[in-house]
Amino acid sequence: MDHHHMFEVGGAHLSRLEDLRLIKGEGCYAADWSLPNQAHAAFLRSDRAHAKIVSVNTDAARKARGVLGVYTGEDAVKAGYVKPLSMLTFPGKDGKKAIIPERPVLAHGKVRFVGDLVALVVAETALQAQDAAELIEVEYEDLTPVIGVDAALKAGAPQLHDNIPGNQCFEQEAGDAAAVEAAFKKAAHVTRLKLDCTRVVPNPMEPRACLIGYDAGSGVYTVHVPVQGINMMRMQLAAYTGLSDDKLKIMARDVGGGFGQRSIAYPEYAAAMIAAKALNRPVKWVSSRSESFLSDSHGRANYITAELALDKDGIFLGMKLDWIADLGAYLHPAGPVSPMRNPVVCLNGVYKTQALFGRWRVVLTNTSPVSAYRGAARPEIAYTIERLVDEAAAQMKIDPAEIRRRNFIPTDAFPYKTPTGSVYDIADFPAVLDKAMKMADAPGFAKRRAASEKAGKLRGLGFSTVIENSGAGMFPKDEVLLEVAADGNLTAYSVSHSQGQGHETTFAQIIGDALGIKTERIKLRQAINEKPLMGNHTGGSRTIVGAGTVCHLAAKKLIEVATPMAAEMLGVEPSQVAYANGEFQSKESSKKVTLGDIAAKKPLSATGEGKFGSTFPNGCHVAEVEIDPQTGVTDVASYVTVDDCGTVINHTIVEGQMHGAVAQGWGQIFGENVVYDPETGQLMTGSFMDYTMPKAGWIRDMKIYDHATFGTISPLGVKGMGESGCTASLAALTNAVMNALRPLGVQPLDMPLTAPKLWHAITAAKKGN
Amino acid sequence: MYAFQYRKAKSLKEAGELLAKDDEAKPLSGGMTLIPTLKQRLAQPTQLVDIAGLAELAGIDNKGGVLTIGAATRHSEVEASKAVKDAIPALADLASNIGDPQVRNRGTIGGSVANNDPAADYPSAVLALNAKVITNKREIAADDYFQGMFTTALEPGELIVRIAFPLPKKAAYAKFPHPASGYAMAGVFIAETAGGVRVAVTGAGASGVFRWKEAEQALAKGISAAAIEKLTLSADDINEDIHGSREYRAQLVKVMAGRAAAAIAGK
Amino acid sequence: MAKVTMTVNGKQCSGEVEDRTLLANFIRDTLKLTGTHVGCDTTQCGACTVHVDGRAVKSCTMLAVQAEGCEVTTIEGMAKNGKLHPVQQAFTECHALQCGFCTPGMIMAVSAMLKDNPHPTDDEIIHGLEGNLCRCTGYLNIVKAVKQAAGGKAGH
Repeated sequence: MDHHHMFEVGGAHLSRLEDLRLIKGEGCYAADWSLPNQAHAAFLRSDRAHAKIVSVNTDAARKARGVLGVYTGEDAVKAGYVKPLSMLTFPGKDGKKAIIPERPVLAHGKVRFVGDLVALVVAETALQAQDAAELIEVEYEDLTPVIGVDAALKAGAPQLHDNIPGNQCFEQEAGDAAAVEAAFKKAAHVTRLKLDCTRVVPNPMEPRACLIGYDAGSGVYTVHVPVQGINMMRMQLAAYTGLSDDKLKIMARDVGGGFGQRSIAYPEYAAAMIAAKALNRPVKWVSSRSESFLSDSHGRANYITAELALDKDGIFLGMKLDWIADLGAYLHPAGPVSPMRNPVVCLNGVYKTQALFGRWRVVLTNTSPVSAYRGAARPEIAYTIERLVDEAAAQMKIDPAEIRRRNFIPTDAFPYKTPTGSVYDIADFPAVLDKAMKMADAPGFAKRRAASEKAGKLRGLGFSTVIENSGAGMFPKDEVLLEVAADGNLTAYSVSHSQGQGHETTFAQIIGDALGIKTERIKLRQAINEKPLMGNHTGGSRTIVGAGTVCHLAAKKLIEVATPMAAEMLGVEPSQVAYANGEFQSKESSKKVTLGDIAAKKPLSATGEGKFGSTFPNGCHVAEVEIDPQTGVTDVASYVTVDDCGTVINHTIVEGQMHGAVAQGWGQIFGENVVYDPETGQLMTGSFMDYTMPKAGWIRDMKIYDHATFGTISPLGVKGMGESGCTASLAALTNAVMNALRPLGVQPLDMPLTAPKLWHAITAAKKGN
Repeated sequence: MYAFQYRKAKSLKEAGELLAKDDEAKPLSGGMTLIPTLKQRLAQPTQLVDIAGLAELAGIDNKGGVLTIGAATRHSEVEASKAVKDAIPALADLASNIGDPQVRNRGTIGGSVANNDPAADYPSAVLALNAKVITNKREIAADDYFQGMFTTALEPGELIVRIAFPLPKKAAYAKFPHPASGYAMAGVFIAETAGGVRVAVTGAGASGVFRWKEAEQALAKGISAAAIEKLTLSADDINEDIHGSREYRAQLVKVMAGRAAAAIAGK
Repeated sequence: MAKVTMTVNGKQCSGEVEDRTLLANFIRDTLKLTGTHVGCDTTQCGACTVHVDGRAVKSCTMLAVQAEGCEVTTIEGMAKNGKLHPVQQAFTECHALQCGFCTPGMIMAVSAMLKDNPHPTDDEIIHGLEGNLCRCTGYLNIVKAVKQAAGGKAGH
């Protein structure tokens, strides 16, 4: 069966259904909402990384023009908004649970990072609020900032939170320590690497914003914020504020990029709720990009020491890790869960390595809190394994493709239970690698390298073969509601919320395919409070697996529900009715009724539901780079992807996701990097002036292929793919650079591989020779 | 942004008077540096005196071996100007690589030269081409004009009216932009002028734009990349920050100088 | 406070604003044209790009009072009589947008680019996009859309 063909019903290559409003400027993002009589907020943020708050004098600010109210940590404590939700609930080493720090929505007693919220000012205009915020006088007693995991874990390090000794709030181990010890004992070769997966800023293009409405009569807050799904936002906000779910109405329409950053109920939102209630007026806050850099959740920041033991033939005997996650000054709700869970799920990567062991620590520092960023520690574990494998191959002088082939889980071994207990359902790693090598013309590389050398450039080819677990979901099931209108048009309701992924199109394709109806007749509505549904937010590459599959099930259920209604209208037994392309027909006569006809008589709807665990998308990415030794600048000469994300619903969208995710991988490897001054804790890369975002031209072309196996978790065979571009590209790009530089004697380098870093490495290596 | 009063000057004279009367007033031209600075609340002027529309500051003119560009001329105008392309193509080329298209549609040559950002492009051209900075009060030779980062010979209330570039025999500019900001990490302008070869470096100097005298001497006998290849630029007076060491920037200066020299040699 | 008057999308518009009000805020808050987005505060991202007297500018780095008497076009003024501008058409056909937040600024920048240079090379397209950031698409489909809008062969 050609699984690609089935989703062409609505025309997978046509424009996306959501595009029209967006290209006309008619989208509605968080800052585009307005409510009558709204007031405007500005925050005073800490200008230092670590200090005791001695006093906060708000007198001048309160008297300033247009000011309606000023709120501080006292108000946050009084409201009881002090403890964010934590999803790090599972036990760690020796059964010990995580210690969760408190975080009053406005800092109380202490500030713990540059950008920490000190006060909220609400005024008639945003400019007035900003002016007044500057009039607040804060007396601080400076404390020594703790920047970086080494500083945090050092004996006698200043402590961020009284209840978290040594700044370590969680530790866990996974795998089999004894087996790993035995494996390393008998190893013919051991490769050891220190791998810094640097801290980055997600930077969706839409800055955060919120508009809080409050109805004093009902006590209901209407919270307009960017989300990845309203249930996650509501759950977190309810936990932070102690309000029940029914007092929180979450509103979102278009969301300008997410990448994990939108799944958090930030303290700014809850602080604005305090003001909205106190003033009985809607309160609006729009973040500047400078504030985004300071206070949006950051990503990655995992510092890993990894060792791989091999026998003389390059067979992987065992791997051990020491993994330290820098979560910043406080814990975002799911922040520490990603690095504690995802690396364990795919600890063996695509290989049959049997002995695995790791130690993970969650550490707090005086920096902006860290949370999931596209991949959420999946790219980090893939990067770790694929860097180890590549260096091991080089050290043992084994072809890097060959060493991978020797260690792949064989295609006939699926479903495959991994040493850490995951079950990879289906994959075909050797075929994916072979196809990638072919499409990248790996055999022709030597010739291309020689040509580059002639032109004074260093050329390298690198690749990665990776696997990742799609999100298992935090809610017990996913639901999608389908309603039919009298004109036969359908509305689908979902919890999972697009931040650019194109749900309106792909969901319509799935439903349209199941019902034989054109996609244009199916409208998806997300974040509709009036249609309460159970379900997960969009994250962890899981939406197509969860909500997407449920769209299919809901459509099937709709036919089931409508059949007896059609039969009644046709005057025949339900068994005598056949459905096709929006119509029910009596088998005996030519009489027909449409879905619309039925809906005109009686309300017609169906709710599909399903629970789906992790799937395992995988792939091989091949990068070819050319480095100018004069300047250290790396040019990505070619980039080829071969991915197995199962059934592809919409190739255009899948390619778009791949472009964007690989660009983010490129950003992390070649430019993006959050730098805090180690002495003062000031953010040195606080704007697009200093923080290198990918720009047009970072690559000229990308060749995207798939080699799909039909996933067994979803009846559609889908596996998800939003994050695989990040997961595969970090190692592929780094391996390519190291492949170019290794002949000079350059030792393994850490990201970001900026031009100055490469120039220094090349220069030092040349001097050494 | 702090509150201020906006005044649109009707004449150069009025602008000069408004600025002379109020030490805290600032002239506003394209605003591509000033407005971002105000947005970050890094400056608190009482008044902004808008000089962008003044006729006295407009116009591009090539006469008597001198290309004169009005201070309010936007980068995109210099980039597209036939007169500039005919007279000093390297200057049009430089303008076409400032910032980005939107910035070039607002930013002005006078604003850039008055601000003297150590990573701005124009100062290197003004210095290498031995241009004259003509203000509402006097004429200032390029060698006297630039006095360190964000520091110039301009006095309070003094406004650049136009810049006069003597036509060089040959000239070229090569720039290594910062990957995030687009500003020069090293920009080298080489010009063969009536008074000899001049090499001006922007982006890299610890105290702003400077002339690389060794390179000027090396190129005096003939401009070629090979002549640059033999030089070593001392890193002592080179800027260093999280984006690059002084050694790296010194290397970039050399590479950019080589590229500019090669461009001239190839012409 | 100042009274400003300008022509926006062919219609004369006036408003009372503080002198420090940015053009972007005037467009969004006073005129309620929220298709112009603000994505940064350092004049880098280009989400706020509009045309002022036919030239692409970043409306976050221009005061509303500076646009006094100017002709301003925003994304809302691009489609004419129900017909999309060719750049809008190309963006949707080439899947050059995902979240759509940078898109209005991109479309305004690209349409201005093509006015100056109707048949740009790949290098010229990339150079012309230097003032606009996109976090979703990796830019490949944006470049493709520019080519398609310029009449070149692109798309699928």
